[in-house]
Amino acid sequence: MTDRSNSSIVIVGGGASGVILAAHLLQSSQSDLRVTLIEKRSTFGRGVAYSTNLPDHLLNVSALGMSAIADDPEHFARWLNARNPSRSGEAPVFAPRGVYGDYLGDMLAGLEAAEKQRGRLRLIQEEALSVVPTSSGVEVRLGNGTSVVAHAAVLAVGHDEGPAPDLPGAVRMGAAEDTPVDPDARILILGTGLSMVDAFLTLDSRGHRGEIVAVSRRGLLPSPHRPGKPIRLDSADIPLGTDLSYFVGWFRDLVRATAKAGGNWRDVVDGLRPFNQRIWQSWPVSARRRFLTHTKAWWDIHRHRMAPEIHERVSNAVRRGRIRLLAARLTGVAPRDGAFEVTLQRRHSREVDRLAVARIYDCTGIAKDVSMGSIRVITDLIARGLARPDPLRLGLDVTPECAVIAANGAASDRLFAIGPLTRGTFFEIDAVPDIRRQAADLAARLTA
Amino acid sequence: MLTRKGKYGLKALVHLAALPVGQLAFVNDIATSNNISKKFLDAILGELRNAGFVQSRKGKDGGYRLARPANEIMVGHVVRVLDGPLAPFPCASRTQYQPCEDCDEATCQVRHVMLEVRQAIADVLDKLSLAEMRDSSLEEIEIPLKYQA
Repeated sequence: MTDRSNSSIVIVGGGASGVILAAHLLQSSQSDLRVTLIEKRSTFGRGVAYSTNLPDHLLNVSALGMSAIADDPEHFARWLNARNPSRSGEAPVFAPRGVYGDYLGDMLAGLEAAEKQRGRLRLIQEEALSVVPTSSGVEVRLGNGTSVVAHAAVLAVGHDEGPAPDLPGAVRMGAAEDTPVDPDARILILGTGLSMVDAFLTLDSRGHRGEIVAVSRRGLLPSPHRPGKPIRLDSADIPLGTDLSYFVGWFRDLVRATAKAGGNWRDVVDGLRPFNQRIWQSWPVSARRRFLTHTKAWWDIHRHRMAPEIHERVSNAVRRGRIRLLAARLTGVAPRDGAFEVTLQRRHSREVDRLAVARIYDCTGIAKDVSMGSIRVITDLIARGLARPDPLRLGLDVTPECAVIAANGAASDRLFAIGPLTRGTFFEIDAVPDIRRQAADLAARLTA
Repeated sequence: MLTRKGKYGLKALVHLAALPVGQLAFVNDIATSNNISKKFLDAILGELRNAGFVQSRKGKDGGYRLARPANEIMVGHVVRVLDGPLAPFPCASRTQYQPCEDCDEATCQVRHVMLEVRQAIADVLDKLSLAEMRDSSLEEIEIPLKYQA
């Protein structure tokens, strides 16, 4: 940090990452600290992920991994036990995501109460339109015409909720365009990962009976969690900075060796987890690009697993033909009588399916071009050259210290980003355990 | 442990890092100027190519060059490819762990300390780029050696 004062910090985005950062900033004893949290939704701490109130939408990480506080890993598990003492037991608990939203809301309410006297925390429910650097810091312009000035701004806008611009006719589940559909009609879901699973659970709860066709390049379904014993690794054991194929070869050998010793792939994937960001950062851009193209789909189904009970339900639905998984590419969408005729090109085959579907849901996930996104404050920063997409365009280009890098390559001393927006630099930065670590590190630097 | 293989590999890479960007070097030239047998060097450069640190071109004008700028290749990353996990003793590795026949590793203080030593090795070597190794002046390296004698 420079000698510039950093005592007032505005956080753009009051979802999980924004609230988690606020909590870590306010751990500082600095009395002139001012934290302003800006959120466009009516409730703080929920974002896209934790706004669902469907009890079937479970966290994909057990309660013991979901603490919002970096140096208190059981913070959430304790809160959950206090709220629901009967459920505490030996087995890992996968709580509903809506309950996690309650937890973050509770934590924020606690912070507000604690800061009432000192006045260090302010919440503003408004959309942020732009962030403009000033001589002494930043000015954040809001949708109601007012603005907030601070010494530094942290972008914590999370996932883009807009549908992908290259998927005509597709809507996001729960968006305004997601109007009621004939319960017997066939529905197409683009994507076969965890978002597809969420969409299936929502459709199921709405009483949908028609066939659900789920399509992705490889048609792979995420694996379930099982109890395991992650292997112990140190960074000295892990090949860094190599080409992708070399790393994948090492990984496969390690899985084989672990299986021989009585373990399984889960133990390797989970043992590697503390090093994933480092591995990603050590790779040249060429290896990162190859990973996204060739390996990510396989990695995701092993790394991002679902609660066993949800896996059971989805597998049943696939067996009974309620969900049809297809490894295919969407090659055409033609509107027909208020519905769509879609053309799907099967993978490794000339076969083409033409299907009539009543609705197309976009569950393709996250690998989208950030500059084409629908979050105004981000596209505005890029358009003005104050930020630039990372080389793979997954998010904003940031330093490992979370400083936003401008179009001219200079790292900002007053504009930072955390959470999924920093995916290009951190890669695995969607899950709470990674975000809380990142938030704790940034908070320590900003309040130093 | 740093073997001769790891040492020769690093010497070859420093040789390549000293050339103008993109220029190919003959294996023979690298071998002669670094006093390495050509056959051994061929094997080493083959492994470095598989891991993506060097590129090669075949033919009369063929040879090797760095696949990336020298400041982006870390010494520790190269050593892991050539010599396996950084570990001062065979028992101080987690993936290529070889238990000692004569002690219980759970209570072995030596192993415990060696695990810390290897972390320190990794911390130093993973922060050191080929460019820095190339530019480190020989005098700086030679002075401590004199005191050893």
